[in-house]
Amino acid sequence: MSNSTSPLLGYPRPDGRWGFRNHILILPLHQALSTAARDIADATPGAVAISHDWSGEIEKDFERISKTFAGFAGNPNIFTTVVLTIGTEVEAGIIERAKKFSPTPLVEVKLSDAGSMFKLVTSALEKAGELAEKAAAESRVPAPWSSVVLGLECGGSDAYSGITANPALGVASDRLVEFGATSILAETMEILGAEHLLAARALDPKVGAQIIEVVARYERSINYEGIDIRGAQPSRGNIEGGLSTLEEKSLGAAKKAGNAPFTGVLEYADRPTAPGLYFMDTPGHDIEQLTGFAAADVNITVFTTGRGTPTGSAVIPTIKVATNSEMGLVLTDLIDINAGTISDGTQTLEEVGQIIFDEIVRVANGHLTKAEHGKHHEFNLSRLYGSTL
Amino acid sequence: MSLPEIWAFKHEGRGIGIRHHQLILPSVVCSTVVSRRIAQEVGGITFAHQHGCAIIGVDVSGIDDFFIALASHPNVGSVLVVGLGCETTQGNELTEKITKLTKSTEYLVIQESGGVEGTVATGAAAARELAITYSHFPYPLEELVVGIELSRDVEIEPLLTELTHEGIKYVIISEAGGSAKHFSMLMSQKVQLIISFPDGNQPPSGFPLIPVINVASDSPLHQAISGEFDLQFEATAKEMVAKIISTADHTKTISEQNQSGEILVPRLVRSV
Amino acid sequence: MRPVSSPTGQRKILFLNPKDNIAVCLADINAGEKISQDGREISAVEAIPRGHKIATADIAKGDGIIKYGERMGHATKSIATGSHVHTHNVLGDRLSTESA
Repeated sequence: MSNSTSPLLGYPRPDGRWGFRNHILILPLHQALSTAARDIADATPGAVAISHDWSGEIEKDFERISKTFAGFAGNPNIFTTVVLTIGTEVEAGIIERAKKFSPTPLVEVKLSDAGSMFKLVTSALEKAGELAEKAAAESRVPAPWSSVVLGLECGGSDAYSGITANPALGVASDRLVEFGATSILAETMEILGAEHLLAARALDPKVGAQIIEVVARYERSINYEGIDIRGAQPSRGNIEGGLSTLEEKSLGAAKKAGNAPFTGVLEYADRPTAPGLYFMDTPGHDIEQLTGFAAADVNITVFTTGRGTPTGSAVIPTIKVATNSEMGLVLTDLIDINAGTISDGTQTLEEVGQIIFDEIVRVANGHLTKAEHGKHHEFNLSRLYGSTL
Repeated sequence: MSLPEIWAFKHEGRGIGIRHHQLILPSVVCSTVVSRRIAQEVGGITFAHQHGCAIIGVDVSGIDDFFIALASHPNVGSVLVVGLGCETTQGNELTEKITKLTKSTEYLVIQESGGVEGTVATGAAAARELAITYSHFPYPLEELVVGIELSRDVEIEPLLTELTHEGIKYVIISEAGGSAKHFSMLMSQKVQLIISFPDGNQPPSGFPLIPVINVASDSPLHQAISGEFDLQFEATAKEMVAKIISTADHTKTISEQNQSGEILVPRLVRSV
Repeated sequence: MRPVSSPTGQRKILFLNPKDNIAVCLADINAGEKISQDGREISAVEAIPRGHKIATADIAKGDGIIKYGERMGHATKSIATGSHVHTHNVLGDRLSTESA
């Protein structure tokens, strides 16, 4: 099986990366342009948009915000990004940075040049329409296993997460890594208590030390705030679902990364440079994590959930796996795969792992996920210092 | 001579509103897309945000308080809270706190309403039921509280004098930070209308629920997009007050027409 | 290739690791219910919802709670075999402020 020929079909990018979608992204670099971005995407088949609350402030988190926008604009699932700007120096800096990441030239539409919101929308609509036609005319070509950059995510976890969906996803992740793909585990809060197990799997002892340090750094930052995190973690939904402590949640969450060795540790929104299994330092916040993944080249995500959550990304297809049949068979318009069959006793971990693996291939090759059908294009900027200047 | 007056709505528990909005309030980021679909179906107002989960410390009550302030704002006639179910900011508890202060508030939860489509259908029906028709009545200008948002140096005295002369109350915010932050602070102070003087390098912006009158500066950016401003930089205090009164009396501002402007929810602690 | 486990069948509770002192309930358990499974016998001393944990050994106050063979926190009071193990008698070891 390890020499299996890849059945994947994707869009090759000039810099060697691969996309599994060919989106036109409408990216507003100022909150006041968010509505315009949504309107443009709604009127352009093949286009997606995001919105956010940032007004171009040089806040303490500016570096993180700038890296996120630049990386997001250059995600390999994007054919071209149309950036809407006011026309400021700060925006110009982000665009310069984005150009380095972007596989195809970015298109910028400035409000100051357009002269009015109406003209900005008209101009961007015209450009997005032309680009969408070009994108639609491109064909998929056979892609190697190494084209996959898989994001591993869980949200709304319950006590079944660690015994059904997460280890089944681990089976799929392990197989992809074995075939030469990249897989990224994240959510520092959700490996706290399990980091020693992950560190022990590091290919290089330095990577193991980094995993331990990322968690220690996180723990210090929370202790520094002097806050008791009980009440937030495990969340109320987690507790109702049967999870009692953060460590218990983490031991279950870490199972998404299977048993493969760890190749490296990534800072938030940083891109992996070689295939393998990585850990990325992100908040447990589902959308901040997904946004960080998008900025880091992730081109497909599997998201396990115990309580059921509809969220997704404008640029990354996100496959939802239910941890239990009670939810998985009810919330069918947001769940792609039910792994509750494992605790029901009707399927094994390996069988569901294979189903997830096959679904990754099917979705990569163009099948739309429930979150894509529902146009769940959530986007959040991750801030370490709050949002009040 | 008759006293100038405005036609406004008496929103029980919320105050005298110059708009009659229905707010579809997502209690967590995970319900923002569903909230937007409901709002589109019923003509309500909503906004995307990233809060309600993975919050700790002062933000837990701070974000609750902010959402309560939004839901009990005078320009709001009714509120539908949409939750996911497993988040920190629980929709039902938030709704209880809102209903203690106001009328016409209801909530529903995606995880208990059959998922996305079920919630959109149930939510749209619930929102229509909630949307009581209020008649508007004439009120004196004394009922108006205007927020003055200063993100640049402006000689503001003439406007204050003119407002006082007309009997219009006001709140000024001029501390550090941009318009988005100031708008949120003014919303919490229940102003029904905002007049904004954005920084010369910032575009005009809006705030869902509250009409914002944007006044241009003579900066190159503002001059390049002067048509996006409700008032030009030469506008006199008398013209500003006339615009305030006509806006209070239902003339839509440009940001209202464009439906532009997101809501910046104040946040003090990092995401976890 | 990895070993292929067999489906769990209609189990009431799931023993995850031989080192564990808890098991996960796969169905709602009634107070007094006797569970005989995988060669072990446990009587639930109280009702336990599905997804929640049942003590499979007596656990002293301060002792570790072991799940997946790993420590996930400690007992804040002594827990008898067959009891519901959750936030009322368990606390994480890290990032939580212990009340005296």
